[in-house]
Amino acid sequence: MPIMLDVGSGPAVSDQMISTFQQKIDELNTFPLHRFRVSSASQDIDTEPVILVKLIADANQGSPRSNLLPYARVLEVYHAALKNSLEQSSLDSLADYVAHQVLDLFAEERATLSRLIPKAADSAISPELVERIDRRSMRSFKYAPTYHLTFSLFSGASTPSAWDIKAALDEYLTPLLQSFSSISTFTVDTQVQLYASLPPSMRGPVYDSESAQWTLEKADLSGFVNAAEWPLSPSIGLGPTINFILYAPSEGKSPLVIKETGGNSWLIPQWGGIQILNLPAGSTSNSSLLKQDLAPVMHTFADQLVSLLGLPQSPPSLPLRISSLKRERAASLILSASDTLGALSRLSLKLEAIAIPNNVAASVEKTIAHLEQACRELHDGRFQKALQHARIAEGEAEQAFFDPSMVGQVYFPDEHKVAVYVPLLGPMAVPLLMALIKEVKKLRRPNA
Amino acid sequence: MLLFSFVLSLTILLTSWVEASDYHEQLLLRPLPQSALLAAFNFRSNTTATAFEEQNFRYFPRSLGQILQHTHTKELHLRFALGRWDAEAWGARPRGGHREGGTGVELWAWIDAATDEEANARWLTLTNALSGLFCASMNFIDSTKTIRPVSTFQQEGDHSRTSPENLHLLHGALPHEVVCTENLTPFLKLLPCKGKAGISSLLDGHKLFDASWQTMAIDVRPVCPADGSECLLEIDQTVDMVLDIERSMRPSHDPIPRPLPIENIKCNTSKPYNGPDTCFPEDQTGVLPAWSLKEVYGRPIRGSCPLTDDSAPTVILEVPEGRDVRGESAESFTQSREGNLRLYQLPKNADFDLTLREQSLDSSLSLEQPPVYASRTFTGQGQERGGMLAVLTNPSPSTAVSVIYLESLPWFMKPYLHTLQASISGSDPNVAMNPLDSVFYRPSIDRQRGTHLELALTIPAASTVTLTYAFEKAILRYTEYPPDANRGFDVAPAIIRVLPFPSTSNSTSLPPQSYQEGSTYLRTTSLLLPLPTPDFSMPYNVIILTSTVIAMGFGSVFNLLVRRFVGADEVEGPGLAGLKARVKGRIQALLARFGGGGEKKHQ
Repeated sequence: MPIMLDVGSGPAVSDQMISTFQQKIDELNTFPLHRFRVSSASQDIDTEPVILVKLIADANQGSPRSNLLPYARVLEVYHAALKNSLEQSSLDSLADYVAHQVLDLFAEERATLSRLIPKAADSAISPELVERIDRRSMRSFKYAPTYHLTFSLFSGASTPSAWDIKAALDEYLTPLLQSFSSISTFTVDTQVQLYASLPPSMRGPVYDSESAQWTLEKADLSGFVNAAEWPLSPSIGLGPTINFILYAPSEGKSPLVIKETGGNSWLIPQWGGIQILNLPAGSTSNSSLLKQDLAPVMHTFADQLVSLLGLPQSPPSLPLRISSLKRERAASLILSASDTLGALSRLSLKLEAIAIPNNVAASVEKTIAHLEQACRELHDGRFQKALQHARIAEGEAEQAFFDPSMVGQVYFPDEHKVAVYVPLLGPMAVPLLMALIKEVKKLRRPNA
Repeated sequence: MLLFSFVLSLTILLTSWVEASDYHEQLLLRPLPQSALLAAFNFRSNTTATAFEEQNFRYFPRSLGQILQHTHTKELHLRFALGRWDAEAWGARPRGGHREGGTGVELWAWIDAATDEEANARWLTLTNALSGLFCASMNFIDSTKTIRPVSTFQQEGDHSRTSPENLHLLHGALPHEVVCTENLTPFLKLLPCKGKAGISSLLDGHKLFDASWQTMAIDVRPVCPADGSECLLEIDQTVDMVLDIERSMRPSHDPIPRPLPIENIKCNTSKPYNGPDTCFPEDQTGVLPAWSLKEVYGRPIRGSCPLTDDSAPTVILEVPEGRDVRGESAESFTQSREGNLRLYQLPKNADFDLTLREQSLDSSLSLEQPPVYASRTFTGQGQERGGMLAVLTNPSPSTAVSVIYLESLPWFMKPYLHTLQASISGSDPNVAMNPLDSVFYRPSIDRQRGTHLELALTIPAASTVTLTYAFEKAILRYTEYPPDANRGFDVAPAIIRVLPFPSTSNSTSLPPQSYQEGSTYLRTTSLLLPLPTPDFSMPYNVIILTSTVIAMGFGSVFNLLVRRFVGADEVEGPGLAGLKARVKGRIQALLARFGGGGEKKHQ
């Protein structure tokens, strides 16, 4: 995958600098899937740069220092002023520094791609990074072009019965959803449910007299959602539903915290997030939650949403993380579409009696076409289009594989054919067999 | 009954300007003759149209709201019903029959779609989604059971914001569906207080489905206030039931009806044989039974639902004036009286119970007479053809009544419309008019759609109209029979709409402000149609017979061909004697071995 670096245009930028940078990065980069290309804004390139590196000459700087902007894809490098001559050694040291910084930014992406594609593995990855990546992949949802978010307020008693969720969502969550819009779209709905009782199978909140709180054990957390009584049906429409639950315990069971950590929110992998709202005593008489009350709640929900979508945790810049997620998703979709195609071909070889309908064949052709396109786009660095093609390829592959006529048990296995013909042919075959045995014995006796 | 509708219209008018609380619930209790009790629960909540479109749900249930949005349904009416309303004993139906359903499941909706095909596709999505939500097999309502009624149903909501040619009315019924607790539970989950507080805490599957007649209804309609402010979407959930008081009071641990011990029976002392061990029970018709909510429902009302408005009474009991009624609760509650009505507001957190003492009163409540009595049966015998007989009676001595009679018949019941006859028999022999005003008939297509028949009739005063027509039964294919084929097939009830007096043709312009202003509805019972059924054991018989014939026939002929005949002395011996000799030999060998071993030991 080509990663474009834009060095910006400035007085210090020159062709020699660009070539030096390119050389240094190529030397240091050993990951086969990443290919870095350095260019400057003056050059005309058709692919969007992933990172913009701004070189800022600061006379007071001794050794170079870098700063990554958290909400833009810009890496600012402050360096000592270059002498006007294009001294190779200083250029070299600067290029070395910049290359190291840039490669550090992509460390987690490298590790994730190595886990996906073991053949392309880089040097050994540290075990805690491996563990972090595994945990992230286990808890995040599979990629879908549309996600449905459902925010629910469950009250243990009859208050609070209203919340100013629309304003809170518009202010705190919609910007985050908009920044994700290049990857997936989101539909949001909310609901309020009263008299929500906890499931009876849970050991239940236990009163802890020393801290004067009700506590939940960690083992109870996975069974907290009372699926039998709480109406959490998935939203209509394609795409998975991510549920966010805000539970307000009744006055008798408040405040409610988790015993081991004292916290009040947790994530359920591939399902959603839960938070317990412990209002200060006495304020539970008002039945409505205002936007200010909901601000910390929304922050926690935003954190949970980001980890449920599988966003990597480094580098510390949001646009870089989103673009890294795009590449990871494209790669995993391509892999899974190819896996499905392989399984389909193995199935058709094994069950030769299956008649493959025309629409399955058409889907397979479309999958292959889109896979080729996705690979080409990845190769050229157009990650947005690559993701789209990979998604279509995956969808078509799933459709082909799970077509109802492809299910194996629709066809008559041989045992059924035997079961039908044995009652007819059995009474014929048995006397023939007995007679054959007798004849063989008779033939043998004179010989014996 | 008039007071009942008065109270209901009062509540409706009250709610239209009190917008402070968006949720209202009410329970009306009315004892009926012969120890029956009518309990009518009503729950109403609404949401603004903007909140609905942005999918921010508060009192309106989200699962139902998303289904309505997805299928572009503007107005929905869903009914689950069982039992039969005894009009002779109980009078007119509650709420004018507007919340009654035919036996089983009945669904009709106004769907916004550009073409007929689109409306059908959205209707299929709606039935499938609702069947998942309510655990009822509504997914069986497909094109064979769907009709588009022309003049029987009127819109209850305000649809001025949608163009009328895009609104399609579709109606489907499943008379075979058995309604039980698995349908009550999702119904209760749609309520804000969820059956845990307020009057919904009385609803329990055991008592509800033991009733003589019960209907659960869900109605969603748009309401646009006259002052031009925002439209609301209102959901109205109703549970009406007629319980038999004595039967419901039997405790759950001993539900078998037993005769009372002789000390507790009131004996007719004028009989000559009256004594300590012989008793002729006294006639109890004038005596009103003793009952209480806790005994009838098995539980008291648990507090009040805090979302309701405090000013409207929640429990209304309609009894004659002299009746002795006591409300019991640990907390204080408000009660008042208005003629025959006793009004109660529930206490906030304590249980509430109503107790009535046994009394014999001279006055009793007058029951409102229904406008029409209707019944329907099959006639004829045999498995090839039959006839349908519907009897509609107008009890009023002075006013003629106009009705619309709707029937949706399955495709395998083929009526002959030329045999349709309507005859009047009544007190006035001079009236010889034809009661049939017009007929709307859509014939059936085999395996695609059923028959749709709508008749407009006028029944003169104090007369009976008898409708008859002949039909033919079809033979179904082998795989189309249900598992219990010999039970027969259910035919949906006929829906009768009684047009208001005086009968006007444009009664569909405004939604009715109260249930008395518009039309009233009645439904007949559903019918069981016995169809000719094949013998389902034939495939098994064929396999067995074929195998037996082949075994015996082939075996015998083969043996004849292959058998060698030899003299009797050439053979070892008859089988049985030989077998006995062999077994004897074996036993002797065994004995010899053990005996020999023992002898060897001795030696």
